[in-house]
This record gives sequence, structure tokens and C-alpha cells, in this order.
Amino acid sequence: MSTNKASRIGEEIWKTRVDKVNAELVTLTYGTIVAQLCQDYNSDYQEVNKQLDKMGYNIGMRLIEDFLAKSGVGRCANFRETADMIAKVGFKIFLNVAPTVTNWTSDNNQFSLIFDDNPLADFVELPDDGRAQDELWFSNILCGVLRGSLEMVQVQIEAHFVSDVLRGDDTTEMRVSLVRYIEDEMPPEEE
Amino acid sequence: MSILNLPLEFTGAPHNCGRHSPQNTFSSSHAQLSIMTVFSLIIINKAGGLIYQREFQPGLRKLSTNDYLVLAGTFHGVHAITRTITPRLPLQNTASPVVASPGTNAPTTSGYSYPNPGVPASGLEYLETEKFRLTCFQTLTGTKFLLFTDPMTGSVETVMNKIYELYADYVMKNPFYQLEMPVRCEAFDRHLAAWLRGRT
Amino acid sequence: MAAPRHSAMLSISNNVGTPQSTSSDKTQIAQPQSPAQTPGLRVPSNRKTIYDRHLNRSRNAELSRASFAYLFAEMVTYAQRRVTGIQDLEKRLNEQGYPLGLRLLDLLFYRATSTSSSALSSSSTSSSPPNRPLRILALLHLIHGPLWRLLFQRSADALEHSVSPDTPNEYMITDNDPLVNTYISVPREMSMLNCAAYIAGVIEGVCDGCGFEAKVSAHNQPTEMWPSRTVFLVRFGDTVMEREKVLERQGVK
Repeated sequence: MSTNKASRIGEEIWKTRVDKVNAELVTLTYGTIVAQLCQDYNSDYQEVNKQLDKMGYNIGMRLIEDFLAKSGVGRCANFRETADMIAKVGFKIFLNVAPTVTNWTSDNNQFSLIFDDNPLADFVELPDDGRAQDELWFSNILCGVLRGSLEMVQVQIEAHFVSDVLRGDDTTEMRVSLVRYIEDEMPPEEE
Repeated sequence: MSILNLPLEFTGAPHNCGRHSPQNTFSSSHAQLSIMTVFSLIIINKAGGLIYQREFQPGLRKLSTNDYLVLAGTFHGVHAITRTITPRLPLQNTASPVVASPGTNAPTTSGYSYPNPGVPASGLEYLETEKFRLTCFQTLTGTKFLLFTDPMTGSVETVMNKIYELYADYVMKNPFYQLEMPVRCEAFDRHLAAWLRGRT
Repeated sequence: MAAPRHSAMLSISNNVGTPQSTSSDKTQIAQPQSPAQTPGLRVPSNRKTIYDRHLNRSRNAELSRASFAYLFAEMVTYAQRRVTGIQDLEKRLNEQGYPLGLRLLDLLFYRATSTSSSALSSSSTSSSPPNRPLRILALLHLIHGPLWRLLFQRSADALEHSVSPDTPNEYMITDNDPLVNTYISVPREMSMLNCAAYIAGVIEGVCDGCGFEAKVSAHNQPTEMWPSRTVFLVRFGDTVMEREKVLERQGVK
């Protein structure tokens, strides 16, 4: 499946099949979650990153069902197709953005998602405490979402942010790596 | 036991060609449009455990809870075996450079398309008797939805898709639902029943 | 009571029109810097900061209801791990909603003045900039109408005053089908719980932000037609009720 086709699917689902809410309700709700974590963990940002990733993982394990039910797409033929599905269908129908897929490694096992827009971070400025801009990945929940949702369809990945405009970087970039395909309930067939 | 809500009684399934008379061909095509008899729904988790069972319309005899558990477990096992005997996806000839690259940690099962998640496309999808048809839909995540319908009913795909959407909404978005555990979500029951009522 | 809660929200600035982050830097204003920029923070060279984007940018933006549902579900799950009972859980959800109320209030006023087309309070039909509500009823109309429309794209379903002479400080805002509870089924053993306590917190934030000290709680009042019908009980503090009497005598509307 081509990138264009994935984009068309994403657009179509967003337009016709997605129940909407005010974006600010989502943005502010996410903000209050991060703020609460910073408070509960006494601004230990490493721990906050970890908690956000964990929350995202929990969300991903559930969100994948909505993705599959709404999109009706089947299993991806390869990791490149998976990347397009994530960027052009997944992000589109849940966050109304379609990050750019780029920076592939030659073995096609790693790519980057570049976000021009990140609705989770609208209105956000990190605390000016000399540490948050170096330690906190504000949108880290998204890494967990990808990890959780792909694991449910037997694709194990690793994801982390490498830059964020909230930290003063020029782009917001997430790096996604294929770890392995998880063998399903079946033992592998004898060759 | 006769099937309720049917204008005529049939003895065979609609696509059982040998026994088709012109009369019931006519009626069964109408039945597809006007009658969508959904007897009951079962949901089976990844491990083969029964996590949901609910009747919507009368027509089948009730089973004991234990029998439903056995049914879920047995079906799960049979389904797995039918997957085993299903050939895997053939190798696609799309140029995927990684297939040739040794030393990566990617799966290198030769003879299959890359990447091969090691999952056959499908297993058992239908089971049919004179009085009901059992349709199984397995999601890519491994959950199975088993729908018991009238055998006259044509494709149950629309019903199945809607059930999956309702499950994604009212089960998976409920913070009090724990994954893989029995489904006790009042809003799911309510919306499912209302939607099925609206169809029949 | 309002003061400590205000300060608790400062840890992460979801900066909705509140100048808090710059207020402490007034001494450095002589430096040749963008006045809105906080000196200690790095900014992207393309200046993609909150100060460079229009506050109305996301005004009509939409996201999926599912995204909200997942985040809210995680908030509930996370809160549940750290509390001992239903009341405690509702208190925590209330506290999470409170800062939103403060921010949304600023946003409502800002937008009402900047566009000056739609009036905030239900009573005013003139095009003059709306003022902060001074009386209880004006405040409640602000919540029932503009706040609800901002959050849920529709007004709340009812606004009532307690009929009991013992509780003249109690008001009720009803939502027949609260958006936050759309996908939630509360287990039988927790039947008292209403996760819309989060929205009760938002309302409390709006009240406090306007200078009306209040306690707000969410209660299940299901009907056959509306199984998740919720009543938000707003109880104003004594000082608010006293001021209300004074304003009434002075004829302030």
C-alpha cells in the first residue's frame, strides 16, 4: 500500500467515521495529566517520562482495537507499510495530524516521525527550572501508544523522542525501531 | 423446534444448492433483507477463555455456563488447528531490500513475504447447522467474536463490524475494564442490545 | 482556599493567556529580549513558541473523542491506584479538573473580548466587552452556556436553584449525557462513583477564578432515557452568599 493511499484512508475515516471533540479539551486534559505526574514524582522527569510511556502503552493496547475496527485494514506487508499506517492513518484518526515518515535506515528497520504539529503540546511551555528542557519529553505518552498498539498486532518496536520544539529544538522527532515480529500462538512451521 | 420470526420454514441452508426449490430461493433472498436474526454473541480472549456471552433473540436452546466455557475453549483449539493447516502467505515479489540483508535481527524465514509475522491469514470462519450458523471473526489482536445467527441470514459482516466497533468503544475505552478479563460493561450491553433491536 | 490551589497548577504551564511565567521576570525587562520570552528557556530558531502562535489557533480545532476517552481513562486508572475509596477518587479527579477551569475562564474572557461578536453572559445582548460576572446567576449562566459550549459544543441541559430554604447556596447544573462518561461503565460495587467529578473540578475552577468560592460535586441521577444523567451540585461559600445580598440591595446585576 502506498503512502498516498494510506493518507486517503486516514482522511476518509477522519471525515466520516470519527466522533470529534473540542481539541482544547484533549490538550488541556493531557496537560493536567503531565502536571499531576510532575507533582507526584517531585519533578523527577526521568520518572515522569517512564510513567507517560507506561500510560501510553496501556492506551495503545486498547486503542489498536478502535484503529482496526474503524480502518478495517489488514496486516501490513512490511515495516515501511506499518510506518505509513501509523503516520497517515493512526495519527490522523486519533490526533488529526499526519507526521512525515523519513530517515529510514538502509535495512528498513528504523524510521523517524517528524511532527509539524503536535496537538498535545499546544499551549505548553516547560517549567523554567533548568532541568525540564533537558530531561522531560512532554509527549512521551505517544511512544508508549505506538509500542502498546503494535505489540498487540505482534510487532515489537522501540520508540523514543530525539528532539522536541518544547526543548528549543527546531523539530519534534520520534525515532521508531523494529525489534522483532512476535510469533503468535502457533509454533513456527517446519520448513 | 421451529425458527421464530420466519415467514416459512425451511429445511436447508440457503446455499445448500441440492435442496433449493425456486420457492425458498425467492424467500431466502427476502429473508436476507428483512430478517437478521442474531441469537447470541460470544467473545473469546486470546487464551481461549470465555469473556462474554449474551443472548439477544430466542431460537436456540440455552446452554449451561459450563457448556459455554467448554464451547469457547474447544472452538479456540479447533480454530488454532484450522489455522495450522492453512498455508501461509506466499512470498511477494516486491523488492524489499532487507530480505537479502543478512545479520539483521529481522525474521529471515525464507519462502514467505517479508516480513512474515508467522501468522496464517485465517482459520475456521463458519460452522453451520439446520437451525443456526456460527460465524467467527478473529481480530488481528487475537480476540474472537462468535455470532450465532439464523442460517438464512446472508453476510453477517455488517453486524460483526458494528459489534467490533461497539467493543472498541464501550469495552476498551472503559477504565474499569481489565484486558482479557470477563466483560462486565453495562454501556456495552445497552448499546449492543439497542443497535441489534434497531436492525431487526 | 483558592490561593494554594492556584499555586499548585504552576508546575507545567499550559499557558492559556495567563501571564504567570513572565510575572517573576519583570526586573529583567530592560534586556533587549522579546518581552514575552522567558529568559531561561531555549526556543526553536523558527520561533515555534506559544508566544508566537495565536491563542485562537485551536479555537475551532477538533480531535477525536477517542483520544479524549483514552487519556481520561488513564487519568482515572492512575488516580485509582493512589486512592483509598470512591470519595478520595472523586476528590482527585476534581483536583485534576480544577486548573482547567481557571485556564478556560481566561480563554473564555479573552475570546469574548477579542471577537466581541458573541456576548458571554446570557443577559447581555449588546456588543460591549463582557465583564466578569458579579452575581451568582450570571456566573451560572456563563457555566451552563459558554463554558459548556466551549467544552462540549452544546449547552448544559438544566440549571436549577435549590428549593429548600435550608440550602439557598445550592445550585444544580444538569447534563443528561456527560461526554466524559460516554464510554465508562462503573462497576456495580462502585455505583456511587461519577467520573464527571473531573468536570465538577472544572466548574469549581471557573467559580474560584471568578471570585466565587464554591464546592462542586457530580452526582448520578439516571433516568430511563438518560442512564448517565449527571447533576453537578454547586455549593457557594458563606462569604459569596453575603456579598450576593449586598449586591442585590445595591441593584448590581
